[in-house]
Amino acid sequence: MAVTTTPTAPRRTRLAEVTPANLRRRYLRDRVMIGLLVLATLVVLIPLLVIVWYVISNGIQAVLEPTFWTSDLGSPARALSGRETGLGHTVLGTLVVDGLALLIAVPIGIGAGIMLSEYPDHPLTPALRILNDTLNGMPAILKGLLAFALIVKPMGTFSGLSGGVALAFVMLPIVARATEGVLRIIPWSIREAGLALGLPRWRVVLNTVLPAARVGVVTGVLIAFARAAGEAAPLLFTAFGNNFFSSAPLRYLTGPVDTLPARLYSLAISPYREWHAMGWGAGVVLLGFVIVTFVVSRCATRQRHQADM
Amino acid sequence: MRTTLLALATAALAALPLGLAQNVELLGAGATFPAPLITSMADEYRDVTGGRVTVNYQSIGSGGGIRQFTEQTVMFGMTEAFLNDGQLAAIAEAGGGVAFNIPITLGDVVPTYNLPGVQTGLVFDGDTLAEIFLGNIRTWADPQIALLNPDVRLPPLPITVVHRSDGSGTTNIWTSYLTKVSPTWAERVGFATSVNWPTGIGGNGNEGVAGVVQNTPGALGYNSLVYAALNDIAYGFVINKSGNTIEPTLAATSLAAAVELPADTRILVTDTDAPDGYPIAGFAWMLLYENLDANNAIQTRTQAEELLKFILWTITDGQDLAEPLSFSRIPEPVLALNLDMLRQVKWQGEDLGAQVLAEAGY
Repeated sequence: MAVTTTPTAPRRTRLAEVTPANLRRRYLRDRVMIGLLVLATLVVLIPLLVIVWYVISNGIQAVLEPTFWTSDLGSPARALSGRETGLGHTVLGTLVVDGLALLIAVPIGIGAGIMLSEYPDHPLTPALRILNDTLNGMPAILKGLLAFALIVKPMGTFSGLSGGVALAFVMLPIVARATEGVLRIIPWSIREAGLALGLPRWRVVLNTVLPAARVGVVTGVLIAFARAAGEAAPLLFTAFGNNFFSSAPLRYLTGPVDTLPARLYSLAISPYREWHAMGWGAGVVLLGFVIVTFVVSRCATRQRHQADM
Repeated sequence: MRTTLLALATAALAALPLGLAQNVELLGAGATFPAPLITSMADEYRDVTGGRVTVNYQSIGSGGGIRQFTEQTVMFGMTEAFLNDGQLAAIAEAGGGVAFNIPITLGDVVPTYNLPGVQTGLVFDGDTLAEIFLGNIRTWADPQIALLNPDVRLPPLPITVVHRSDGSGTTNIWTSYLTKVSPTWAERVGFATSVNWPTGIGGNGNEGVAGVVQNTPGALGYNSLVYAALNDIAYGFVINKSGNTIEPTLAATSLAAAVELPADTRILVTDTDAPDGYPIAGFAWMLLYENLDANNAIQTRTQAEELLKFILWTITDGQDLAEPLSFSRIPEPVLALNLDMLRQVKWQGEDLGAQVLAEAGY
């Protein structure tokens, strides 16, 4: 009787008295394993916290400067002589390029995800799966090279457009995989209900399965977005970089634009302390960007649990 | 209603090209070393033109600059290693015609070191530097170094040679100097933007080399003067061909180019004959197509014209920006050669270069 009750603290001593050595060993092993798991969690969390703290403590000062948001970078002479300099054009360029990537990758990626999950019998699906996995595993710089060959060369200039396409290549397989995953866990009965009403298959997918999985799909999109937002490699020879605000709004798409990850690198390797400080600032903005995205995606997932109940 | 919309649309369409014509964006890319100068020039030039002309320069390295210039994705390139005959032939073959190398400034490379108690000003000569980088001189206490520096107490540390691990115009200047002063180096290593180093450890970029030098007592590396000066790294003086000990300064670097120059300015001025010139220096060139319309990156005559005006400004008025930023001015004879090259630049057969120069009074 005492053996089977849940082990609360005072009971545990009695438990040890009556349980055979074998069971005690198993409890011990259990505690050791839990201890190891806690340790492993800390090992993962501590570097993360150290990174966040280090970036913020180094970069917060630059970010608090109002000109950081309102000015463009210009030349190092501006920073050295204390004239107005900032990364306003970089933040703007990042929003344009990342936004464009989302516009391209989300419809196509979700479409591919639907194909993978809902039409496993279609002859193209196995090929799509292999291609999607290959694209996912491909180094990001090759995706940049692809966008360079597809868009930069024919256009004759580097552009925000090509940067957006390159980042879309990064997002696409992640969105497709995530969509496939969440569509699969939607119970079969929902599809049957739709089909029983006489709906065609595509309508069942779009009007019943996809809405049921909406929150999961959004989470997948946000994760893909956060991943692509930190990529510098695909942007090196597509968005290319710019030290100034573009001269016309359209030029953010048709001309070279600055992006946070690429600018962060070039600031970091420069010989100027002032630029190093701005590089840390760029790190804070990028980190904030990604953290906000993840917090939003976390909140979205929590809502799903509430909806399920 | 419909006609109003149509009229509005027409007005918008008519205004669009006008708006674009007013603001011109020029794009260039290449060498890292002159980037602070070019971007400062871009800043200043935007003010000079009242915000009308924006020059976007991205530093992607000399190799990248030549590559993107050849790929015709940039309007001008920048490089610390001039286009060789093979590259010029390839550009001509790809339909670009003649490509000009236009010196904008001079780069100087200084030996940087980390020796406890020893400040800037240790004296080296070509043979000593070559022997160190060949791995034949291994300690700072070597009599050959002591002979050049009788008044300096050299610590008996082993020498850690530090070089660039990436392809770099700085390496090109450094190894071209070693090649000229040491037959052994010329035979065993030679010069290029990256070489097969006989000894030492690599650092990525100017900052990589500087980092290793600063953290390693006994290290000897090489950096751009502006980089060493900005980061408070001790650097050495070098004895030139004429036997004078030259402190690397902007003036001494400019003087390195005070030699007879070919019309296309494709010359390495390392180990210069100029008696007061610093021997480890070289031009940083802007790359430009003779027929601007052959470059895919330049789409309109306006862009071509503004590009020429900008380049003309960088080699004339823009040179005033150089020295405050620790860059060397191009000497007078080089300016004359540059003007000659710009005068030949064309747009669809039209003598655009000559026109722009005439307008500016050259």
